[in-house]
Amino acid sequence: MATDDNLKRRSFLKAAGGATAAATLAGCTGDGEGDATTTEETTESGGTTEESDETTEESQSSGGTLTFARGNDSGTLDFQNTTSGEDAKVTNQIYDGLIEFEPGETSLKAGLATEWNVEGKTVSLTLREGVKFHNGDEFTAEDYVATYRRFVDEDYKHYPGTKYASAYGPYALGNWISSVSKEGTYEVAIELNKPYAPILKNLAMFCSKVHSLSAIEKYGKDLAKNPVGTGPFKFESWDTGNQRIRLSANDDYWGEEKAKVDELVFTAVGQNSSRAQTLVSGGADIIDGLGAQSSKVVENSDKAELLEMPGINVGYMAFNMSKFEPFRKKKVRQAVNYAINTKAIVNTIFKGIASEASQPIPSSVMGYNENIDPYPQDQEKAQKLLEEAGHGDGFEFELATFKNPRTYNPSPVQAAQTVKSNLKEVGITVNIKQMPFNPFLDYTNNYKHDACFLGWMTDNGDPDNFYYALLHPGVDRSAVPDGQDWINPDNHDNVNTLDAAAWANTDFMKLTEEGQSTYKTSERKPKYQKAAEIFHEECPWVAMDHAKILRGVRENVKGYTVAPIGGPFLNLVSLEQ
Amino acid sequence: MSTETQTEDVGQRGIVERLRASPFLSELLSNRLAVAGLTIIFAMVAIALYSRLFVDLGSVTQSQIGTNPNLAPPSWLSKKTAITGEYGTFAYPFGTDIQSRDIFSRVLYGTWLAMKYGTITVGASTLLGVGLGILAAYYGDITDNVIMRTMDVLLAFPSLLLALALVAIFGTGLWKVVIALTLVYTPRFARVVRGAALKVLEDEYIEATEALGAKDPRVIVRHILPNCLAPITVQSTLNFGLAIIDLAALSFLGFGAEAGTPSWGLMLSNGVKNGLLTGDWWWSFFPGLFLAITVLGFNLLGDGMRDALDPRMRETVD
Amino acid sequence: MISKRFVIKRLLLLVPVLFGVATFVFAILHLAPGDPARVIAGQRASEEFVRQVRTELGLNDPIWVQYGRFLLEAVQLEFGNSYQIQKGTPVKQILRYKLPVTLEMALYGQFLGILFGIPVGLLGAIKQDAISDHVTRIGALAGISVPIYWSGPLLILLFAQVLGWFPASGRIASTFDINPITGVITFDTLVRGNFAAFESAAMHLFLPAAVIGIYSMALISRMMRSSMLEVIRQDYMRTARAKGQGSKITILKHGFRNALIPVVTVIGIQFGTLLGGAVLTETVFGIAGIGTLLVSAIQVGDYPVVQGTVLMFAGLFTLVNLLVDVTYSYLDPRIEQ
Repeated sequence: MATDDNLKRRSFLKAAGGATAAATLAGCTGDGEGDATTTEETTESGGTTEESDETTEESQSSGGTLTFARGNDSGTLDFQNTTSGEDAKVTNQIYDGLIEFEPGETSLKAGLATEWNVEGKTVSLTLREGVKFHNGDEFTAEDYVATYRRFVDEDYKHYPGTKYASAYGPYALGNWISSVSKEGTYEVAIELNKPYAPILKNLAMFCSKVHSLSAIEKYGKDLAKNPVGTGPFKFESWDTGNQRIRLSANDDYWGEEKAKVDELVFTAVGQNSSRAQTLVSGGADIIDGLGAQSSKVVENSDKAELLEMPGINVGYMAFNMSKFEPFRKKKVRQAVNYAINTKAIVNTIFKGIASEASQPIPSSVMGYNENIDPYPQDQEKAQKLLEEAGHGDGFEFELATFKNPRTYNPSPVQAAQTVKSNLKEVGITVNIKQMPFNPFLDYTNNYKHDACFLGWMTDNGDPDNFYYALLHPGVDRSAVPDGQDWINPDNHDNVNTLDAAAWANTDFMKLTEEGQSTYKTSERKPKYQKAAEIFHEECPWVAMDHAKILRGVRENVKGYTVAPIGGPFLNLVSLEQ
Repeated sequence: MSTETQTEDVGQRGIVERLRASPFLSELLSNRLAVAGLTIIFAMVAIALYSRLFVDLGSVTQSQIGTNPNLAPPSWLSKKTAITGEYGTFAYPFGTDIQSRDIFSRVLYGTWLAMKYGTITVGASTLLGVGLGILAAYYGDITDNVIMRTMDVLLAFPSLLLALALVAIFGTGLWKVVIALTLVYTPRFARVVRGAALKVLEDEYIEATEALGAKDPRVIVRHILPNCLAPITVQSTLNFGLAIIDLAALSFLGFGAEAGTPSWGLMLSNGVKNGLLTGDWWWSFFPGLFLAITVLGFNLLGDGMRDALDPRMRETVD
Repeated sequence: MISKRFVIKRLLLLVPVLFGVATFVFAILHLAPGDPARVIAGQRASEEFVRQVRTELGLNDPIWVQYGRFLLEAVQLEFGNSYQIQKGTPVKQILRYKLPVTLEMALYGQFLGILFGIPVGLLGAIKQDAISDHVTRIGALAGISVPIYWSGPLLILLFAQVLGWFPASGRIASTFDINPITGVITFDTLVRGNFAAFESAAMHLFLPAAVIGIYSMALISRMMRSSMLEVIRQDYMRTARAKGQGSKITILKHGFRNALIPVVTVIGIQFGTLLGGAVLTETVFGIAGIGTLLVSAIQVGDYPVVQGTVLMFAGLFTLVNLLVDVTYSYLDPRIEQ
């Protein structure tokens, strides 16, 4: 099987500690979607743990209908058509990828590929034989090549256009891969542009599942409504008027873990408290998207259980060094970090549905640095640092924030108000500018903010997906002017606009670049730990929180395993009775 | 002959005199329901002013977790909340919400917000509608057509829908909602005023005045406006209730007041979404109660005014 | 009789209005903040990807080309594909499944309103100034003063939470498989012969319909009362009474039809309010109809869905108003002059 150090199924994460879920894996969760029904107390959520050894043999085929209730209906049933984790929850049941995440962990296991090998710029994979799609076709290398081309190859006749194909095509695959080729009926070779360590994790992402070639030809864009996969559940019907997706067990599933229930239904119940009530009254077996208040309903019920765990995500406030001059001084950034009471924000405003962050990644991700603590609130120190930096009299800046709650920031406006009142005490005036999420992204992508709230939900559970994705400016180290640790985005091409701080610390950049091109976990880990130290010292952000994942599960549900990423693994679930 | 003198008479006396002479006020005041409405409105205005002056905005806006009990029930209930196990106390007669803020003070402050933004919305749409309506009636022809066809387009949408569409353009926030609703209400005023103004213009005396060389604005201000005042007042009063409902509705849907603002609509929204099914009913009950009472006040008064005026008003205003 | 000329004239008058409506709706996309292409592409898309989306959307074409295209498509009821809510799906198709949800709820509510509003109004008129009259008058005023987003929660509190008679939200219990035909759930379940599902759907429908019904009943009974009173005061009624016919029967026989005319208008106008109110009712009761669709579309910036929904609402509203006018002209032929 897997050969490289990185590929061994060594769980560098503790099973339960490792954290985000299906929801989170698609970072753009609710590039709106979540917003529709969210409220002050809402949060999107992912998986939750229950000891997996509860998945005993007692009820191999319990049958019955498992109902999974969430806040929103799916927008599509095609994983190539979406950036939303809400959609992935369903597609993950229907489809398999070449490589999959181990249920409950961020490590990898064999999926439709039985073996893989990464060397330099080549990934070669051996595919599983005898796997049948739901339409009866046998899975071969051609299906994968077609799937890949449909996602990123504009010249492919079945390429559906950028209006349809999601940005994950280039983002997770296309930007790193130069070619995908069939080497035999069950052999695939992927050529990379350069050594890229997270590639295997990207192949395990929800967007890297496999379509059937004949279904691609037959349905085209209608795959969004007619999914044909190899997964443990088959698609039956989608009733958009009642927001209900019905799947049935796939008796021909290739894996050991065939679905234990006969039927799986995804329903949408918009309001958190209604959803919690639905769970308690037996209208649903598993629910997600719980907030501080609705989770109490679950907690207080003897019919259901509340499961929670830290998610792989981060909420933060970024200083825009390219635009706002005082933020170019490290002492000013540190002063702001000291002045803001992140602990209070997390505990009283996010009300226990998040934990305080000390660094970009939560403890469940490889490379977490245990020696770093969050900046404590210390107004005197902040004042002193400001004076040293020549800003003893304070200054005025604009804090841009999105208006609606997002997973990693369940109460953005209230959080901004706290920042404002905290900073007022050290003489800094904050003007809050709040916008809907999309105009907000436009605003920050163009570096119009002085500082902004932002956040991130992991795509693949890799530290690169935080450190490089959010803090590397995307330009060459040599292009960063000497003695300067920020860039002016106007002067460069291919700026990584997700680096909302425009931070360009060359030491940090070097570490993350090396981390990205080194395959061995043992070598990558110290690099990210060092990167965390630089991050903490230089603080291009005020790291705020890692949101928790909350799930409500009825007592008769067994085998519901943690899905920090890649889940929910509903084929493992059975209903007792 | 006799009609002419009569109308001229009316035209030259001001609205105040006319109202005094007409049975309007006495009729209105003899209408018990209208008086009840008026009383409610005065009470609400008093509450609004009181809360503007004496309620601390910070304490009703920002989280009071740690300071106040969390989700405490109204004081007269000696029952513990299921969720937080707090008892109600007299310090928080309406209980507290999820951020531990005193619902009573929030509801009081909400009265100020509703009155303030309601007045602005109704005032602005009245002014705009009156202006457009009179212009359309007075100049006729193209001016009339352009104005009234535009109004027709706006009237082709259900009002809340139009408000939502405008919010999609303007973005969210209380002020933007005020602008959107102003545009939504303007056509109603324009129509009413245009109709009334046309009636006045039909009367010969305007022609007579014009023959004497009076300029446009003078004619409008001296003759048309006073004659339209009655329908405008009734429309404004009835619209005030609607404005308060719609303002709160847009906040309820998440497009109006910003998180934390003690607006009735937002309180209702949070209370309904998070508190209704968990048994914390007071969270949404009291804002709704105040809202309904206030609106009832305006509807009672508007209704009474309509009755007290010429019965024909029923056709013009609705 | 319905005059053909009147209907045609009325239809012609609609053309400029509909044109204006379409123009306004077109403007939504272009005046709204944010880049539509970014809505589709999402946070992780590169600038290049976003540019490509923009080109594919035709957003780089001259504005008048886009306008022409929009009008052409709108005439065919095409509003493009959803950006986000059901990405890539034609808006028409989305509306096809959401509209029945809203209409079903609204029509049941309206039905309840008429069913109770008219008798209550009549009663008030016949027994004018009796206690029952005062009660209904004040009740009706209160009914229109209480917003749906408060009466809804109150009903939920009482009937769902305290008494447990009706479910608090949704359209049908999650255990039922509906497999929609028309999308009107009470109809579909009956046609399929699934009576348990029908019962569940009806129970779910009751509270939202009741909330709408209360509001609608208040308006209708008010108008019914006042227009009936007016009719009673009219001369011919007195004559009829003088001829010795029993007063109550006379009222019903002669007055009812005439009194109904303004009531029809109110029902029509109110249906528009009701459609707008659907946004709130659906939000309160967690029903996935057009209203909640519009709210989420605005929140995420799914402009084709916003445009389609708004245009459809305006179309429906206009249509209802037209029907009201025509009915009016049928009931009262003088209206034509």
